[in-house]
Amino acid sequence: MSQVFHDIEKKIINSLKENPIQTPETLENSTQLSPDQIRRGIEWLKLKDLAIVDESKSSVISLGKNGLDSFEKGLPERRLLNLVKDGPRKLSDIQKELGFVFGPAIGLCRKNNWVETSSDQIIIKTIPFELPGEKTLQQIGNKKLSKEQINQNDFSELLKRPNFIIEDVIKNKKISLTLTAKSLDISNDSGAIDVEAEVPEILVARTHPLKDTIDEIREIFVTLGFSEILGNLTQSSFWNFDALFTPQDHPARELQDTFFLDGISAKKIANPEQIRKVSDSHKKNWRYQWDVNEARKMVLRTHTTCVTIKHLAENKPDEARIFSLGRVFRNEKVSYKHLVEFNQIEGIVVGKDANLRNLMGIQREFYKRIGITKIKFWPTFFPYTEPSLQTMVYNEKLGKWIELFGMGIFRPEVTKPLGITKPVLAWGGGIERIAMLKYDLDDVREFYNNSLGWLRSNTKCQ
Amino acid sequence: MPVIELSYSRLQKLIGKVTKKQISDSLPFLGLDIESEEKDLVRIEYSPNRPDYSTDIGIALGLQGLLGIKTGSIKLTVKKSKNYVITVKPTISKIRPFVTGIVAKNGKIDDKTIKQLMTMQEDLHFGIGRKRKKSSIGIHDLDKISFPLTYTATDKNHKFIPLNSKKELTISEIITDTETGKDYGHLLGQSSKVPIIIDSNKKIVSFPPIINAGITTVTTKTKNLFVEVTGINKADAEDMLSVVATILQSAGFTLENVQISGAKNSSPKFQEKKISVDSSLINQTLGLDISTSKIISSLKKSRLSAISKGKKIICTIPAYRFDIFGPMDLVEEVALGYGLQNFEPTVSPSQTIGKTNPVSLQLKSLNQAMIGLGFLEALNSSLSSKRVLYDMTNRNSKNIISVLDSKSQEHTILRDSIFPGLIENLSRNIHESYPQKMFETGNIFNLEKPISEKINLAVISAHKDANFTEIKSVLQTLLKIGFRIQIQTKTAVNPSFQDGHCANIIFNGNVIGIIGEIDSTIIENYKIRVPVVGFEISLSDSILKSL
Repeated sequence: MSQVFHDIEKKIINSLKENPIQTPETLENSTQLSPDQIRRGIEWLKLKDLAIVDESKSSVISLGKNGLDSFEKGLPERRLLNLVKDGPRKLSDIQKELGFVFGPAIGLCRKNNWVETSSDQIIIKTIPFELPGEKTLQQIGNKKLSKEQINQNDFSELLKRPNFIIEDVIKNKKISLTLTAKSLDISNDSGAIDVEAEVPEILVARTHPLKDTIDEIREIFVTLGFSEILGNLTQSSFWNFDALFTPQDHPARELQDTFFLDGISAKKIANPEQIRKVSDSHKKNWRYQWDVNEARKMVLRTHTTCVTIKHLAENKPDEARIFSLGRVFRNEKVSYKHLVEFNQIEGIVVGKDANLRNLMGIQREFYKRIGITKIKFWPTFFPYTEPSLQTMVYNEKLGKWIELFGMGIFRPEVTKPLGITKPVLAWGGGIERIAMLKYDLDDVREFYNNSLGWLRSNTKCQ
Repeated sequence: MPVIELSYSRLQKLIGKVTKKQISDSLPFLGLDIESEEKDLVRIEYSPNRPDYSTDIGIALGLQGLLGIKTGSIKLTVKKSKNYVITVKPTISKIRPFVTGIVAKNGKIDDKTIKQLMTMQEDLHFGIGRKRKKSSIGIHDLDKISFPLTYTATDKNHKFIPLNSKKELTISEIITDTETGKDYGHLLGQSSKVPIIIDSNKKIVSFPPIINAGITTVTTKTKNLFVEVTGINKADAEDMLSVVATILQSAGFTLENVQISGAKNSSPKFQEKKISVDSSLINQTLGLDISTSKIISSLKKSRLSAISKGKKIICTIPAYRFDIFGPMDLVEEVALGYGLQNFEPTVSPSQTIGKTNPVSLQLKSLNQAMIGLGFLEALNSSLSSKRVLYDMTNRNSKNIISVLDSKSQEHTILRDSIFPGLIENLSRNIHESYPQKMFETGNIFNLEKPISEKINLAVISAHKDANFTEIKSVLQTLLKIGFRIQIQTKTAVNPSFQDGHCANIIFNGNVIGIIGEIDSTIIENYKIRVPVVGFEISLSDSILKSL
């Protein structure tokens, strides 16, 4: 079977056939590919055993600050010799002209007996033709040379001087073809492409994973015969609490649990009869002075139950299957398991068949459809239902029971004042919890982080 | 929900013949959630409507019933006595008018019992006492007190040694300097007088609802107890006392009556309630068909007493079960006694046809259209902050709707627009590949009679070539293909958008939104390195209205 090559690979192989040993830089020039393409191409060829990459290190020499200075003006001692070669001079004048190189220059000239000094006089004795290091200095100049190209005696002379020489270690890559590659005939290409090669990723557009779960749950309830109703996220305390038999001094109604809207009260909360009857029920059963102004205070709904109870109070149906789904709020510290704002579903059944076993049956059916079969029911407490239960579901991955939906039958203290005469089953719970199990998340905040890394990589179809 | 710590071995002693496993299996069926377990210790969460479950003694009573070890209601036996009298002075009537009490004798108190009584007291204070406002308890060593007592008002210079203190403090000092004084002092209001209970030697016994006197402290040497409850409502005070009395009797104390006289007060009676319920209501509500004798035995397992009279069940409810209001509460008691694990869930065939709300349907198809245009759906909270909504996007914060006392600084203001949140999202993704294209639909809020809620759509696109034409194409295509709506864009000036690159979106002559290039200062403030374009439209004023 003939091998298939990427265009990049072909260009590199062809170039190496013409010019057998190359660096990545020369390959860039000969193939007109980008450095990144060359890098990938060499990598692919190496994996296929078609290219040899010979990596070595070498020293590169260039001139430092003082070296460059001497390259332009001559070595310090040469400069001194030039100044005195035409006759005796005053030492102090020479010092002025040479500046900071005077010291090393005069030292070297005296040591080598090229000059003679007496009091303030300096006189030439011999002029050497070529000084040690001078030739190499010119050879290096502004260039970078490999160490091997340089005369070692000269070089050690220059190396002694401060800031004359800079030595860098660089990595060299030499690329050549293996014997197999050399004998390849890539011009005889079938036109096939490398179907095994990596391809770029597409930046996906998609619905939010949490929305997928919300839609899924909505659809389950619709197919179970329930109709969806919507309601406001801002509600009067009357519908969020009072109508649900939660006394006005109940801890849930404190600022630390519920979001009250600063300075905002509803003018009209309900009809006068509803208000009177709810107020009477509170006074009789909870024994306190019910205050209509407390009921007017606007809150961010703490559950969707306020939407369903309002619907029931307005429509008083004899038979109904209704659900409401949306955001609810709690004044909590945000953490990996708590959000201030999350989604809740709440469903109700009104009618003659509304009994506890049916309520449990609806739960069982719902959980079955989201893939949970191991469930049990425990008693619990809600101010507005009696009896009240909670579902515990077994999570295989975590190996433990988790609390999900709460449920119950609306208390007569809730339904009677609002003129609802038939029993009402109600249940509800958070959706993020279910979605966390679905997406294997252990931090609920991820749903609202809008981190593109997560959104773009999350599994869509589960 | 309150949490208490119990020991299995102590529970076993209190209940009788029972294994540790039987206890841990049964606790949830009393409505008690096990929070954690470690060897002999178990932490459980109970509902505040059952204050009798604030001690292991109360929980043992419940478990005895559920396990069939001891069933039926707990009757209080209170010995009549004339030795213990509290006289209530009229001066107290405007401060904290009611007091009630009980004497409990010959009990054994070990460290663990003291601890249980203390947690019970704190939980009662917090729950039904509404942080001591409605009612509060004091538990004292009876033998350190000489009766009769007087419940009266005194001024704040009065001195005594309070609980946990070595020296005498004035009442003013107690209110300002001690922990409980600081926590509950405000309950006394502005009055210059405060309530106290003093004994016949003029010694202060208690300064309700703040603190007891040090001399009456209960220790493991204490044999006899005096319990007083004060409050602003007589019935609430007596409810609270009935819980304490039931627990103390079950812990082995014998109860003796305390006589209360004067100013609308009277001696506590711990009256049982009788409620009758039809067996048909029970069976209908639970979806069962069980006999009256089964109903009665189930109620007894829930520690109530019941007899049948034809189809009626007449149930006797002890005073401490004031969570029971009427017949429906008894239905629940039957369910618990019968055992929730014995209920087989059923599905009754539904005759109703389910329907998704039309608004949800339209939003879903809008989502699909946006995905088709290449945009990723984002979700932000509707509760946001001034920084994100206004400061970072140069928007005017005149009509904000804020919430009180939020525990999270990032969640203080209801959003009136969605796109500021999306731009903030971009700033957290600058390390991710571009183009970044996102949209979000959701509720926005405005101050209007008192609050209007509408649904908006916001769309943004960020990449090196992002421009006005691109985003207007998205808007135009979305509305035309999705909803057959034609819109116009008219030049506008908006502090969040670049001058000359911003327009109002007009539909049927009304402004329904804004579109343009986001102002470069906003992008720089967020350290985003590519241009950003976007639009936001009110769906409630356009497509959702056409429903």
